[in-house]
Amino acid sequence: MIRAGDEDGDRWDRSRRIRWLDMERVQAGRYLVLGAGALGNEAIKDLVLAGARNITLVDMDHVVRSNLNRCVLFREGDSAGKRWKAEVVAERASDLDPEVRVRAVVGRIEQLEDREWKEHDVVLGCLDNIAARLHANAHAYYRGTPYIDGGTDGFAGRVQVIVPPSTPCLQCGLNKSHYKVMEKRYSCTGSEITYFRPSMAAEITTTSIVAAVQVREALKIVCGRKDAVIRNVVHYNGVRNSWDELEMSIEPSCPLHVSHS
Amino acid sequence: MTIKVKVRNAETGSTVDMEMENENTMSEIVQGAAGYWKKEAGAYVLRRGKKLLRGSQTVLEVGLKDDDEVELIPDPEGGYRAPPF
Repeated sequence: MIRAGDEDGDRWDRSRRIRWLDMERVQAGRYLVLGAGALGNEAIKDLVLAGARNITLVDMDHVVRSNLNRCVLFREGDSAGKRWKAEVVAERASDLDPEVRVRAVVGRIEQLEDREWKEHDVVLGCLDNIAARLHANAHAYYRGTPYIDGGTDGFAGRVQVIVPPSTPCLQCGLNKSHYKVMEKRYSCTGSEITYFRPSMAAEITTTSIVAAVQVREALKIVCGRKDAVIRNVVHYNGVRNSWDELEMSIEPSCPLHVSHS
Repeated sequence: MTIKVKVRNAETGSTVDMEMENENTMSEIVQGAAGYWKKEAGAYVLRRGKKLLRGSQTVLEVGLKDDDEVELIPDPEGGYRAPPF
């Protein structure tokens, strides 16, 4: 027996119409989101609306007013109250869906316990610097957990999907220009010196596009569709509205691949 | 052997011819091109067609030949420098 109007009473009815989207797997999946800034806000929003139930969110920072042009889950009062980003996002995620459980971890990703990397099915990197990305890349790779890294800069964006042990990792794609950025930061910071780091331009359209791609790739992974994920990285140019999917190869001297083999 | 390769700036579309030897690496091409266009400090990568070239790969390993083209593209880090576009 069916009942008129049943379709519209099921929160996931429209999602279930996508054949490969396995809602049981989506809801059972364990997602680790690193960063609760612009990308992190969008990623959590998309994950929750997509049906994710178990999310761990890590961020060390508090909300400031300049976050409000691109962070859908922050409010004026959050910046006035200098609230922790992770806690605010976790609270607002429950407004979107009371059944979701977002565990907020206020701290650096380097402080995450080792078990966290293997207890999740997928890691989403919503970070803002290369050093943190390398940390996430190494720990996720070592534990065999897929890592989806997102990055934006103005109207430019990128998403890389790393599925150990078959794909190249983030470190495989680095060159001297990346290390120069890291070196400059490290050489300019210390107990008595503060390195001036200019704020980057960031806006919601590119952020939402990049985070949406990250979440979609995560859904593919938890639904067992690793065959359909990005190989290996996509670069987005928001001015031209163009996407380029680029293949990478494993760097023979990359310590992660050497240690893995 | 010296070859001449065209490097394209993905942000502006402009190109520059660069001479290189078989043992030059992609990292050296990135540095040379970013310096030529006075790019702001930041991370860049090189692509050739649908392939992203690793920094340690040499001209010989990549198989670059005279008049080939590679493209210098920004590698968005999120949170460091001014927007490329």
